[in-house]
Amino acid sequence: MNKKQKNMSWQSLSSIIYPAIFGIVVFVMWQGGLLNILLHTDTNTLPSPSRINSIIMDNQAKIFLNLKATVIVALVGLLFGSLIGYGIAIVAAQYRKWGAGGITLASAFNAVPIVALAPVMNNLTKHISSSVDFRSMLAKTLVVMIVCIAGMSVNAYRGLTELKPFSEDLMKTYAAGNFTVFKKLLLPNSIPYVFTALRISLPGSIISALVTEYFSEKVIGIGRQIRENIVTAQFATAWAYIIISCLLGIVLYVLLLLVESVVMKNRNRK
Amino acid sequence: MKMEIKNIKKATFMVLVATAMLSFSACNKDSGTTETAAEEVKATAATSVVKTDKDRILEASAAGKIGNWGLGNEYEILALLAKYDQPLEFLSQDFTMDGFDDDSIALASAMTYNELGLVKNDYDGAYGYGDEVGTIDMNDEGVAMLEDNLFTTAEFAKANPNTVKAFVYATLKGWEDATADPEAAAEVVYKYGSSVSSEHQLYMASEVKKLVETDTEGNPVSNYGYMDEEAMQQTLDLAKTYIKLDDSQAASKLASLTLDDVRDTSYWEAATASEDGSDLGTPETTDVKVQLKWLPQSQFMGYYMALDKGYYSDLGLNVTIVPGGGDIAETTAVYNGTVDFGVTWVSNMISANAAGMGLLEVAQIYQRSGLLLVYKK
Repeated sequence: MNKKQKNMSWQSLSSIIYPAIFGIVVFVMWQGGLLNILLHTDTNTLPSPSRINSIIMDNQAKIFLNLKATVIVALVGLLFGSLIGYGIAIVAAQYRKWGAGGITLASAFNAVPIVALAPVMNNLTKHISSSVDFRSMLAKTLVVMIVCIAGMSVNAYRGLTELKPFSEDLMKTYAAGNFTVFKKLLLPNSIPYVFTALRISLPGSIISALVTEYFSEKVIGIGRQIRENIVTAQFATAWAYIIISCLLGIVLYVLLLLVESVVMKNRNRK
Repeated sequence: MKMEIKNIKKATFMVLVATAMLSFSACNKDSGTTETAAEEVKATAATSVVKTDKDRILEASAAGKIGNWGLGNEYEILALLAKYDQPLEFLSQDFTMDGFDDDSIALASAMTYNELGLVKNDYDGAYGYGDEVGTIDMNDEGVAMLEDNLFTTAEFAKANPNTVKAFVYATLKGWEDATADPEAAAEVVYKYGSSVSSEHQLYMASEVKKLVETDTEGNPVSNYGYMDEEAMQQTLDLAKTYIKLDDSQAASKLASLTLDDVRDTSYWEAATASEDGSDLGTPETTDVKVQLKWLPQSQFMGYYMALDKGYYSDLGLNVTIVPGGGDIAETTAVYNGTVDFGVTWVSNMISANAAGMGLLEVAQIYQRSGLLLVYKK
């Protein structure tokens, strides 16, 4: 028993240690220039981590400005996309006859490439405001929103329909109204599915925010900086923005996992 | 009976959709007519006072309606804005002129040989504005930077001097032919895979001819590919002022660059001194590729002409022309050895050299800036 426990803890520990060692080895090879030799690239195409770090440190204010623009677009788009997706799921769950088909149709939106959506949204929002800052933000947010709808509607639909056997009948015997059924049964049942959707949508929202910035009227955002710097052959600076976008994705994902673990823990306690 | 009810329902639904669509389009039209009405009022008020280019720049800058593509194409516009003490900001323009057409951009960037033709002419895919548009020329404004050149890496040039000389010789011969007969050149380009219509290709050829044969002051140039010291120096000076690099290492390299780090005239001198190219020595490398800055079009007619007439093969060179477009960075392609030669704007080569790419211009094909700001009169 004791031995088994020991084994278990070593297993969970090793699942962290091995990737960590691998990461450290890659990092040391990168900084030491060995990675450049292995990949046949020079320090211009793949600059050392210390050089990238010094560029980040030198440009904190500018990076923050661009980061802010990207984060707002990604999170606001994610929020509204998820709300709309959940709304679609509720409607589809109410009218199940065509609901499942409708959900499939909605998920087809996911197949529309961002590269195609972005210019369309730019044109649609052109006459909405005379402020470039506002309308380019709106166009970008709309793209992210559309990308986030499908994941949420598909998952939430499952959360709203895959119930415990007879639980709906039980609610009926209590003579519960539609709203009560939703509040007491459907909503709590769908929470784990909502988090599943968010875990898919969050990285998606960041990627679509980065890409849609390529086409935006206003020159701002982490994605746009990556493009500008690569085209003008400033690879070290481009790498700095790539690192920032990776950190952004990781930080937001970890935050989401933390929120999920807190929410799910409280639910299980009940 | 049941069928009828269903049909009625269907019909009412369709009517509803139709009215919604109609009212939506009507709304759009309404806003359009009020805008044009306002413009008419403005126009009648302005007839008594003649607007200068400066007025137009100040007005468009205040409204935030000056457009450029960015991505290293914006330095002349920034220099122009600085000249008139305006904030160095511009709208990101896409690769169409729709923004200019729908008035979201008042002063739009346009190349004489491409976008200006699309705005003015009325062939397929163009906007047909004719003489209703005016232009502000970067050469006249004194902020011209040199554009399409021919470059390689300093390393390649040093290892293959004869190849470089032969390539320059044949290329210049191609440009000579192309400018002598733009119509034939346009046809040749069209044959090699064109991104635009044949009419536009012809328009482009006639405009490119002007850029190749006229300097920034408007004087005729007869020695093709000449690297004019003064124009090159102005390009370098403006580049140093308006290329902003976040990488401090590259920024200090940029500040220290001189013309000698950017161009070498010796290959051009040897090529132009040659009688018929046969005295340039045996090429060290015979299979060479040249990377264009954009899609196949008359902008690069000299290269296609040289290829088509066999000027490259006459000197023992087997040349492949690689079209660019989108986000292909010709500087990077030459630097990493994917191709041997490239066509780019001098400013783009300067920023690449600031990053340590060691690129070297061997000929300057365009003698003046082809960038304009176009406005509706």
